[in-house]
Amino acid sequence: MSTVFGKVVKLILLERFGPVVEQVGSYLFQYGTNPLLYIMKYTELPLSKIKESLCILIKYNLVTFVTNKNENLANYTLKPDRILLMLRYPKYNNLIKKKFGDESEMIIEEVLQRGYWTASELILKVIERLKKNEQATSVSLVKDKFKSLVVAKYLVRMPYPKDDKPVPDLQIQDNELYIFPDIDNKILAQINAGAESMDKIPDKGIYWTINFDRFHQDMRDKIIVTAFTKKIDDNAGKFVELLLRQMYIRTMPWADSSNPVPILEIKDIIRKQETHKQLLAFFDQYVNVIEQDNSNLIRKAGEASGGSFQIFMKEAFIQFAWETIEQIVLEKYDSKAARIFRLVKSKKHIEPDQIQKLAMIPAKEAKRLSYLLLEENFLQIQELKKSNTNNGPNKTFTLFHINLEQVVRMTLEHCYKTLFNIMTRKNHEKEINKRIIVKKQRVDTIAMDMREKGAEEGQISDIEEMITPPEREILERIDITLKKLNTVELEVDETIFLLQIYLMYQ
Amino acid sequence: MFTTRFLYGVQEQPSLQHLFAKTRAGWQSLLLLVKNQLLCRLSKNYLTTLSHVFLFSTFKNLLKGMSEETKPSVSSPNEEALLDLAKSQPEGFNNDDIKQNLPNVPITEVTGIINKYLKNGTLEVFKMKNSLFYKYKDPLKKSDVKGADSEEKVVYKIIEESGNKGIWIRDIRFKSNLNTTQLNKVLKSLETKKFIKAVKSVAASKKKVYMCYDLEPDSSVTGGAWYQDQDFESEFVDVLSQQCHRFLAQKWEDASKQGGGPLLIRNRSYATATDVHKFISELGISKVTLSIDDIESILYTVVLDNNAERIVAANGSNLYKIVNRFLPSLGIVKTTCGICPIANRCASTGSVNPKSCTYLTDWINY
Ligand code: SF4
Repeated sequence: MSTVFGKVVKLILLERFGPVVEQVGSYLFQYGTNPLLYIMKYTELPLSKIKESLCILIKYNLVTFVTNKNENLANYTLKPDRILLMLRYPKYNNLIKKKFGDESEMIIEEVLQRGYWTASELILKVIERLKKNEQATSVSLVKDKFKSLVVAKYLVRMPYPKDDKPVPDLQIQDNELYIFPDIDNKILAQINAGAESMDKIPDKGIYWTINFDRFHQDMRDKIIVTAFTKKIDDNAGKFVELLLRQMYIRTMPWADSSNPVPILEIKDIIRKQETHKQLLAFFDQYVNVIEQDNSNLIRKAGEASGGSFQIFMKEAFIQFAWETIEQIVLEKYDSKAARIFRLVKSKKHIEPDQIQKLAMIPAKEAKRLSYLLLEENFLQIQELKKSNTNNGPNKTFTLFHINLEQVVRMTLEHCYKTLFNIMTRKNHEKEINKRIIVKKQRVDTIAMDMREKGAEEGQISDIEEMITPPEREILERIDITLKKLNTVELEVDETIFLLQIYLMYQ
Repeated sequence: MFTTRFLYGVQEQPSLQHLFAKTRAGWQSLLLLVKNQLLCRLSKNYLTTLSHVFLFSTFKNLLKGMSEETKPSVSSPNEEALLDLAKSQPEGFNNDDIKQNLPNVPITEVTGIINKYLKNGTLEVFKMKNSLFYKYKDPLKKSDVKGADSEEKVVYKIIEESGNKGIWIRDIRFKSNLNTTQLNKVLKSLETKKFIKAVKSVAASKKKVYMCYDLEPDSSVTGGAWYQDQDFESEFVDVLSQQCHRFLAQKWEDASKQGGGPLLIRNRSYATATDVHKFISELGISKVTLSIDDIESILYTVVLDNNAERIVAANGSNLYKIVNRFLPSLGIVKTTCGICPIANRCASTGSVNPKSCTYLTDWINY
């Protein structure tokens, strides 16, 4: 865990939970697993505050705990990777919205906001929100939505303590993870109508939380499908999408490569769906083109039942990682540098003279660029000595090569740094315009208050005009700036995700 | 011809009248240039479509190529027959021999041919027993170094042996056992007499090699088609690379228009280096004759730029096809920090920091 990464984590905690939680989190990041008293000693915060912070962090599953040797004490560990995921929340919401619709999105949103919750309470909350938006709904509808999220494994049951101990030992059996409890619609409806109190919910103590892995699986698949769409065309993308879908029937989601999928299954689905006529008409041709693509990610595994195919996930992400780095080299330096980088990649080891010749770049330029890439750690150098000659000077060969994993780790660091820079800038923009932002907030609350009390429009606009036109302009500008920074923050996270998946497969 | 020379000379945008006044060239030559995409029309003015740098290098070659085309360099069968005769008679031959060996060539033509050869030094004439004799002179071996002393002869011989690859001065010194000053003198004198010449090698910028005066240096010395006066012609390579890419893209587009399914389209998109070679030759952007191998190496740069793929066909030749990449433009390269040259020096404190960074400010206000 690098320092930049720690800084990013720090900023996220600060942004979402405030300075006290941030201090506790940073301490745990720096010093690893620690008991409560140590945290107190080093952070010099009052005990109550620390307890509160740990509570929050545990609630959101950002900190875990295990018993110390002394069974009455707990050791706390921070989960920094998990904190980084908080940046991705909008993406998770979006994904569910596209796949399951608004109600499901609300469910996920609520769980993300609270860390965990019971099904009943969640359902009631969503119904309440829907009512506010004046959308028609019913208990059974939301419940079904909830159920399907559990069945699809987007939600997972929280582990729970078995016996009463000072430091609870949270456990859960594998078969309990995705079992939806029996909930009587009637009781929920009654509570909803105010006829029963909240205590009556039937599934007390059964908490649900987000299964991030499942989301990442979807995001991974999306990357693969878009990649094939971009490289070949829509139809090829569709084919790969279906291949992935069929793959889950017989393969563990995070396996390096899928088990063979019979091609006829896919053809059947396409025939039924009737959306991709082209793909159906030229099915065999598409299979051929995809199989023979130079990426070699989808290969024929056997001839049985019309042929079956395997998709190689690990290799896919190796290739994506290469392309990512190539793109960075291209944008950071120029097309000549990218050419050299790809040349070294394809030759594995190469002498400087060869680079100039094969890449068709003037000798001086080639030398400058390859040593620049070396200096920036995109290339590595290896020296070979030929020492068995007795006469004359010893000959040494210099060979360039690339260590992809190392470059990816470096790039990932760089991504974190970029995140840190963007967030710092964001905070800075807020900071320098603090006065206006605070004023705006105050005016807004007053106006809202008055509106609720039924004040006249004229009075309200008087209040709103306390913000002068130049101030309004500044506010608009800040708004655009922050939006821009937020968007790019999400986009950088996409790159991070891709590289992380690559590293995960290694 | 005149038009091109004129354009080459001025490198600006001459008007039509301007061109006519200066060159007497007709529409024909202008149209030819436009067709070859060496000129484009810019309202009333004509402008070369190529960049200045490009003008200097390739254009010069182009002009050279054009002027050479005007000279008929192919020899007629009669000329060759006479040449054969000359080669078979190292002692020389006279008019009677010609009559005997080439009975059906009219005497006027024989005179013409002989005059031509005498002029370009393929034959030499001398008088023997009151009649004229001709003798074949091997152009590669002018071993009679006239008016040279024995040292010059030795050095010349060493240089001659090295052929068109040339020989380095140090090696001459080793072989001839002359000391440096002496050798320099000899070399200088041979050079002024135009027996030998010094050629700069592309292998090392300061290294000169010597070779016989009328030899064309080997491509390992000149660097082949990509070098002009020891300089690598980067722009020339770039333009060629772009054109190759364009050709492959076009090929794919044509194939997609024809339709017939993805496999057919793909198979029709493949091109061999020979196809591309033809296209490049027809474009006329290069008058240095490029070999198929040259085109292969250019195509390889397209492959390296990730714009094409190369596969080996059943007959062992390479096939090229345009390819797309997997990933769209990435998030990280959209940020200034992702591609920032001074990112290593950037920290939360210090003069380079994200709060006051101008790159970021520009990007935000963009
Ligand atoms: S903040 Fe500015 S200086 Fe720092 S890495 Fe980003 S672009 Fe470069």
